[in-house]
Amino acid sequence: MSLAELYPWLKALHVASAVIFAGGVLAVSVFLAAAPVDLENSSSFARMVRRWDQAVTMPAMLLVWAFGLTLAVTGHWFSEFWLQAKLAFVLVLSGIHGIQSGRLRRLAGGTAVQSLRSSSIILGCIVVIAVLAVVKP
Amino acid sequence: MTQDQAAQIELAQLRRLEIASCAEATTLLLLLGLAAPLKHLDGWDMGVRVMGPVHGLAFLAYIWMAVQTAAGGGWSRAEIARLFIVAFVPFGGFFNLPFLFRKAAEQRAMNSPA
Repeated sequence: MSLAELYPWLKALHVASAVIFAGGVLAVSVFLAAAPVDLENSSSFARMVRRWDQAVTMPAMLLVWAFGLTLAVTGHWFSEFWLQAKLAFVLVLSGIHGIQSGRLRRLAGGTAVQSLRSSSIILGCIVVIAVLAVVKP
Repeated sequence: MTQDQAAQIELAQLRRLEIASCAEATTLLLLLGLAAPLKHLDGWDMGVRVMGPVHGLAFLAYIWMAVQTAAGGGWSRAEIARLFIVAFVPFGGFFNLPFLFRKAAEQRAMNSPA
């Protein structure tokens, strides 16, 4: 089976991974915005959220990158503006996930962390990424 | 969670960063020291075609892990800057290792009874 024949499958898996990744990042952003208020209770909840983050959101992020880069290489799209812009926004989302992951680690260890309000940036990134991927301006 | 368990989580994170740092520098070494010369001297370009993307991914993985490590707190601005600057210095990942070992030793010292 050639890469061209695999294209719909790669695209479907890329979209599925992206939905799971975006959902995970959004959910953690809501938790981190509220969690530092009550350290004692949020610490045990943070351990549960961290387990989900490590088992689901992080692998989903890696799959987003793996499938996305494979699609970009097979489609020869690296020189296209829409992909370069999309990559920048995906980098921002991945960076926010890195920050969330670090804060979750500290919180799970029982250390207070600063509240992280990133939901609006995450929502903005998701909307822009969807538009760039579908409209390809 | 005990203080010891929390320290173990931080040490495990530092260990992962050490591995990512080593991988980033090693893949660059293989790319520049083996794959690129073989391409120019022997015309064998498969090494560059494979090692180029592998190094790119190792670089991104290191940067992401550095963000994740620093975001946990306990790092000064100079230390955070150093974590990111070494990623842009050729083979900086190797020079980064003693610094990360030192941070791990500090973590162990903080946790050990006085």
